[in-house]
Amino acid sequence: MTMHEYDWTSIPGAIPLLAKGMLVTLEVTLTAIAVGVVWGTLLAVARLGRNRVLSWLATVYVNLFRSVPLVMVILWFYLIVPQALKAIFGESIGDIRLTSALVAFALFEAAYYSEIIRAGIQSVAKGQMAAGLALGLTPGQTMRMIILPQAFRNMLPLLLTQAIILFQDTSLVYVIGLSDFFGTSYKVGDRDGRLVELLLFAGAVYFVICFSVSRVVKHLQARFSS
Amino acid sequence: MAYNWNWEIFLQPSATGEGTYLSWLLEGLKWTVTLSLSAWVIALIIGSIIGVLRTVPNRWLGLLAATYVEVFRNIPLLVQLFIWYFVLPELLPRGMGDAFKQMNPLAQQFVSALVCLGFFTAARVAEQVRSGINSLPRGQKNAGLAMGFTLPQVYRHVLLPMAYRIIVPPLTSEFLNIFKNSAVATTIGLIELSRQAQQLVDFTAQPYEAFIAVTLLYLLINVALMFLMRQVEQKVRVPGFIGGK
Amino acid sequence: MIDIRNVSKWYGQFQVLAECTTSVREGEVVVVCGPSGSGKSTLIKCVNGLEPFQQGDIIVKGTSIGDPKTNLSRLRAHVGMVFQNFELFPHMRITENLTIGQIKVLNRSKDEALEKGLGLLDRVGLKAQANKFPGELSGGQQQRVAIARALAMDPICMLFDEPTSALDPEMINEVLDVMVELAKEGMTMMCVTHEMGFARKVANRVIFMDQGKIVEDAKKEDFFGTPRSERAQQFLSKILQH
Repeated sequence: MTMHEYDWTSIPGAIPLLAKGMLVTLEVTLTAIAVGVVWGTLLAVARLGRNRVLSWLATVYVNLFRSVPLVMVILWFYLIVPQALKAIFGESIGDIRLTSALVAFALFEAAYYSEIIRAGIQSVAKGQMAAGLALGLTPGQTMRMIILPQAFRNMLPLLLTQAIILFQDTSLVYVIGLSDFFGTSYKVGDRDGRLVELLLFAGAVYFVICFSVSRVVKHLQARFSS
Repeated sequence: MAYNWNWEIFLQPSATGEGTYLSWLLEGLKWTVTLSLSAWVIALIIGSIIGVLRTVPNRWLGLLAATYVEVFRNIPLLVQLFIWYFVLPELLPRGMGDAFKQMNPLAQQFVSALVCLGFFTAARVAEQVRSGINSLPRGQKNAGLAMGFTLPQVYRHVLLPMAYRIIVPPLTSEFLNIFKNSAVATTIGLIELSRQAQQLVDFTAQPYEAFIAVTLLYLLINVALMFLMRQVEQKVRVPGFIGGK
Repeated sequence: MIDIRNVSKWYGQFQVLAECTTSVREGEVVVVCGPSGSGKSTLIKCVNGLEPFQQGDIIVKGTSIGDPKTNLSRLRAHVGMVFQNFELFPHMRITENLTIGQIKVLNRSKDEALEKGLGLLDRVGLKAQANKFPGELSGGQQQRVAIARALAMDPICMLFDEPTSALDPEMINEVLDVMVELAKEGMTMMCVTHEMGFARKVANRVIFMDQGKIVEDAKKEDFFGTPRSERAQQFLSKILQH
């Protein structure tokens, strides 16, 4: 059995390039988290609210995005976003791949976040809404000041876990040719003929980051449940 | 936005002469379903073993199983796929590696995707099985042991039958996920559904029809699976237990 | 038949059992009582090895529980246990609950096991429920089935861990009646229970535990008449309020 001859020398020189890739990964991840949580909260509140039309629309949105592969969502927005931007602004803005990816991930993640947040809101005892209203607060104020803060505290571990999943999922921007950390690793490996080493390196980096964050989440979960 | 809608594109013979564009879509559907179902079988088997190992008294087995789960959960699916497809053939003994590389390309892609999806999903199934077993009252295990069952017998006759029934809903989620995750195989060229969508975009001028059709097919898969799993849930329901009344 | 010698057990730093020594002779009925946390449930679970212990030993009909070489499964096949929460297997019908141990552990044939199981089911008055699932039965019915399930293994002795504590008051008597019958037939029994009426009726001896120690171990008449320790007196006076 001949051992593959490992040659890791490609990696140090490629660090600047790989770091740029990681920046793309982080940009997509963080944007999707920020927009996803806000939009997801609105969706969750809409679903639980009394307006039947809004509730139905939110449900359709969430179920649609959760039934379709992320790959398809990315491809869809890579098709739509350039045309939409052209229609609105007369030209595309910035890196069209990045923009499409940002839109796709933000809207996609919102659906998943909304489910977590919805469960979180429902887990806050019903009595809290009644107590808020009894004090004279409006439903909106009660939701904002009493229920949502509690819901978020309960759901923080799940939100963070979803963020880890999102961080991993950004690698799929590969399908539209956007070079994130993974895409860059592949390119470097392909260019230098060291695909094995670069892929293993990428895997190791993802593992270290995700495993560490998941440990933090576990620690938080332990602290909150006491 | 001047776009010519042409839904008849699907019935037209393809530019490469192989079948109609509709047949391309159906071919993609076939590969998606085949890949997903096969990977699910692997995931159930391996996931059950790992999940059980995480609950047995032996510390080393538990650590081994925990390591498996952590490794497969903290690396992106796409990275795992590329490692199975590009890296593993290089690390295998020369004979096996060469044999793999000489296989029909479609077979190479399918096998890599199958193993990747199977092992990836197994880690998630393992967590479900573990939580199902742990959610059972401790007295059940004691009752089995008190009767003279060995530990394997307790798992087989007492713990696992109930654990599986409890986890049907989250397992359903994982089952749906595997169909969605199969789309990742497009990156190594497997002609599953999302790849066919891209092919259709390349060969026809009708990207919207192509994407809508493929999206509808994915939604259809979802609906069919939800229906199927609801039947399963009804069938294995235990009277008098968690809403079985 | 059951010989408990100087058994001590710790959970980490916390001592749950302290040098417990007692015995149960063949045909004897021994009731173990005491306040919550006294270790009585833990002690009885040590007798068939469900709970390990760090010091001392327990000998059941010549077999040492503490010996690492002992095949505990083999021993447990002959020692019956009834649990506070019944612990019937919810996914199996009553008949299967009764026969599975006989078939898989004692290697009896399906027919033999079924005949035995149904016979015992009839004895506890539940023949009509044979094809139901445990979830469809009341607590008292489930516990009677649990007793039948243990008896189906032809045990040399029966261990009861607070068999009526999880039952609604109106169902306690139907279970106690079965246990009284069993005692009268000469079964060796060790019961952790609060039911002093039961103790007075059929117990030969009563053991009182407190904070992991056996504080009183006396013949029934002596225990109820003039218990020696103050703790036992306090306990009795509280519990006999019912």
